[in-house]
Amino acid sequence: MPKQPLIKLKDAWKIYQLGEVELAVLRGISLEIAPGGFVTIMGPSGSGKSTLLNIIGCLDIPTKGKVFLNGKDISELSQDELAEIRGQKIGFVFQQFNLLPNLNSLENVMLPMVFQGRPENERREKAKALLTILDLEKRISHRPAELSGGEQQRIAIARAMSNDPEIILADEPTGNLDSATGKMIMEILIDLHKKEKKTIVVVTHDPYIANYSKEIINLKDGQIIADHKRAGKVLWKK
Amino acid sequence: MIKEYIKIAIKSLRRRPVRSWLTMIGVVIGIFLIISLLSLSGGVKTAIMQQLRMMGKDLIMIMPGELTDIVTTFIGGLELTDDDIEAIKKAKGVDVVVPMTYKGEAMRHKGEKKTVLLCGVPIEDGLDILRTDMGLELKEGRWPIPGKREIFAGYLVPEDIFPGMKVGAEVTVRGKQFKIVGVLKSIGNKSDDSQVYVDLDIFREITGERTGAKMAIAKAKPDYLVEEVVENIKENLEETRKRRKGEDLPSYTVLSSDKITGIVGSIMNLMQIAIFGFASIAVVVGGIGIMNTMYTSVHERIREIGIMKAVGAKSKTIVLIFLIESGFFGLVGGIGGIVLGLGLAKIVEIYCQTQHLFLLKASITPQLILFGLAFSFIIGCLSGFFPAKKASKLKPVDALRYE
Repeated sequence: MPKQPLIKLKDAWKIYQLGEVELAVLRGISLEIAPGGFVTIMGPSGSGKSTLLNIIGCLDIPTKGKVFLNGKDISELSQDELAEIRGQKIGFVFQQFNLLPNLNSLENVMLPMVFQGRPENERREKAKALLTILDLEKRISHRPAELSGGEQQRIAIARAMSNDPEIILADEPTGNLDSATGKMIMEILIDLHKKEKKTIVVVTHDPYIANYSKEIINLKDGQIIADHKRAGKVLWKK
Repeated sequence: MIKEYIKIAIKSLRRRPVRSWLTMIGVVIGIFLIISLLSLSGGVKTAIMQQLRMMGKDLIMIMPGELTDIVTTFIGGLELTDDDIEAIKKAKGVDVVVPMTYKGEAMRHKGEKKTVLLCGVPIEDGLDILRTDMGLELKEGRWPIPGKREIFAGYLVPEDIFPGMKVGAEVTVRGKQFKIVGVLKSIGNKSDDSQVYVDLDIFREITGERTGAKMAIAKAKPDYLVEEVVENIKENLEETRKRRKGEDLPSYTVLSSDKITGIVGSIMNLMQIAIFGFASIAVVVGGIGIMNTMYTSVHERIREIGIMKAVGAKSKTIVLIFLIESGFFGLVGGIGGIVLGLGLAKIVEIYCQTQHLFLLKASITPQLILFGLAFSFIIGCLSGFFPAKKASKLKPVDALRYE
């Protein structure tokens, strides 16, 4: 019996109203992501990759259609209810790292736990442990501006892990890094998938990660043109 | 969690130190004004009320002219006539009447000539009232003997006007010799403490003002209600006035000491309310400064707000973080304003006391300090409310995309 999908989109549309003109960025996307999956979203720029990732990550809701997380319909939830789900179940890794510039590494990693109301000593220990695993224990009191891109992205990964989310979403996580550092970041993500059994969804152009991933969703003009899980190989090529 | 939010808020304030300080100075100035003015006016009020309370409860002041025109009365030289004083004396319930009058006169002592305010009071009838009901006390010397050319002087006369003047000294007024027989203890304000007093008969003799008086003080008999006696005096005065019809005579003001205390008290309260009103404007301007800074801050941190929301911050958390920031501006500005305001009040207090201007004690109460803190904090929070709301309403997707 197949497992219930962790994330399910059913005919999801995202339409932006630009003055008189309607712009459909996503057009009737339906997909399922199983728990423990490693999914790559690929596609040319403007194809709606990031919008899709935002909807999967509960940062946004579709204009039409349904989104289910663990079978629960989240497409009509309020901003605060979505925030709660994000805080508990989803970790984000961004291309721009998106660390808070005023906070040091440790504080950045602790931030999602603060919003979940976890006690101080628990937060501190968890954050230190994560930073140690990612080989950043010497950077604990540095601010983002004092760190290299690779270090910042590892801190962002530690932050994404801090509340033990079920899903980690990464939007072009290697886009701002050189290839060696990018490879290291991807290995960390792959590690999280293998060892921690996290469900991982990555928007990327990186062939290395695309090769690793068993499921590749190719987007073009807001529609899925191939789902690698069924097709068995990468169909979309630049 | 609030501790963490405070940390986050303060860290972001410290990233913009100059702007943060400037914003706070806006509040400092407003609270400084409120606190210094309220504490000083509170002090003035206490001092005046204390002086008024020294007056006996059964005293009635009679002045010519309307109370609303008090300045005209004093400058215009309206006087009570001898008829008026007789009428007061005859009013039912009046025990004693002390007409008082005064005039600026040049006084000579050891070759020095100064202008002093010479007060004529009937020593024989009035000394008791001056001592027991008006609170005049001798610092040294004795009270003058009625009908003799003897003077008693206010506290500041030997201190300030004729330094080194002793009891027993000879002075000359209008070519006549007088002897200083007594010096009073301080009454508490410079003008009263600088007067010299002489028997009314002598005053009339040397000034040539043979009739009338600038004002009169009547004492009610013990078994009469003071307000009743006030009414009786008014009636009698009206009658004398009617008898002299044809003349365009001014009316009279007759007040019991209780009434005066009440009137002065309410004037002081009004003054404090006015002071508070004006100083509040300064605080509100400070608040607008906070609002301006907060809007700028929200705008600059749209992306940060998006990040916080992406990692699980709810709207109310964002509101709270921004309110802490603006409340902090208010509170720290308030503390600064309170310290400076109380400092100024103390300096003015010390100055007034060393210069014998006025027996002023700045009123520094815990309530005033708490009020200052609460007021500044509330203004801070209110000013931050709309910017914080704006921040909390940002959608995370839009905020993250913002460059």
